[in-house]
Amino acid sequence: MKTNAYDVIVVGAGPAGLTAAIYTSRARLKTLVLDEGMPGGQVKTTHKVSNYPGFPEDIKGTDLAMNFALQAERFGTRIARAIEITSFDLTSPLKRFELDEEEVVTAPAVILSTGAKPRPLGIPGEDNLRGKGLSYCATCDGAYFDGKDIHVIGGGNSAVEEALFLTQFANSVTILHQFDEFQAEPTTAHEALTHPKIKVLWSTEPRAFLGEGQIEAVRVQNLKSGQTEDLKTDGVFIFIGMKPRTDLLDGLVELAPGGYVPTDESMATTIPGVFAAGDIRVKRYRQITTAVADGTIAALAAQKFVKDSGMRVAVA
Amino acid sequence: MSAHVSEITMDQFDAEVLGANTPVVLDFYSTECPPCEALAPKFDAVADQFAGQVKFVKVHRQASRELAVRLNVTGSPTLVFFKGGKELGERLAGDIQRSAIKRAVEALVS
Repeated sequence: MKTNAYDVIVVGAGPAGLTAAIYTSRARLKTLVLDEGMPGGQVKTTHKVSNYPGFPEDIKGTDLAMNFALQAERFGTRIARAIEITSFDLTSPLKRFELDEEEVVTAPAVILSTGAKPRPLGIPGEDNLRGKGLSYCATCDGAYFDGKDIHVIGGGNSAVEEALFLTQFANSVTILHQFDEFQAEPTTAHEALTHPKIKVLWSTEPRAFLGEGQIEAVRVQNLKSGQTEDLKTDGVFIFIGMKPRTDLLDGLVELAPGGYVPTDESMATTIPGVFAAGDIRVKRYRQITTAVADGTIAALAAQKFVKDSGMRVAVA
Repeated sequence: MSAHVSEITMDQFDAEVLGANTPVVLDFYSTECPPCEALAPKFDAVADQFAGQVKFVKVHRQASRELAVRLNVTGSPTLVFFKGGKELGERLAGDIQRSAIKRAVEALVS
């Protein structure tokens, strides 16, 4: 298997990772960015971005994402697209990733900027019925439920906003929420509560998804009465927040509540030479601008780490 | 998109998929769909690898409602596998790994 040596390997090509790569490659560090898909992270599927400084007019998320990638590549970053990490070692001084079982890449410093994905409920039937009437993405799958009776799970901003979005397709949308009121902001909550197609079951939690090859019902429990019941459904959408993608750190780092990665002020994790940046990290606010800031700091810290390690590869 | 991937409309389905001489992988995708975006380059990569042996075809869900209903596809992305005009094997949906596509395609040609 061919082996390629780098100074810095960035995992995840969202705003945090691509910013880190802009900085490290400008510092003449040989930089590789790995992504399981195309560069851009969550930004590339954001309609329009209005709060990223430097763009007086709205910019399309996909254009902003592409610009980040082009800027990193201009300074020599290699972006490996659509790769799968088939094995890895993050704890040795020289970190190592095997890509698609066909290439090995190494570097003394790694920046993890793998972001977050929709959080699963972790109840029976969920894995089997995903894509078979069970979805985490209203824009992806809403149109499949034209004229259908569906359920939405959650009560925060995204759940209520997506429930409203889904009313343009579905015949009825029943929201299942564990509390007695929405956590969504009042205007959105009011709009949902007065919407003729939306019904809410309060103090209700899903316990299982039922169906053979296609979702047929959701088993729910009323938290006050303790009663369980199977509700017939054509589809279920789950919006209960995001889950950081920390698979690479399983068993290596003690994660904070919610599964986020603790770092110090320089974005260093507890593993020497491994930094974390962006939505994966413990922090208060998760924005494109804060991801970019994390990426900058992680890159500068990684740059110092590589220099001090004496393991820098010569740039040809 | 890879040169080894083609996009069809639903009225081409019978000829292009069921009537194909080779096994076919059909990808139902949607616009504004992060897992579909993530799948696209992996789908391309596996298509390049099996060029000539297996046909890789995409169909846009929003424009192909009746086909989705006919095949009972209710999520994007969904990969459906065909051989000799019949669906074969397990469908793949959601966050699909490149290695999972490869394994499914290998099973299809074996």
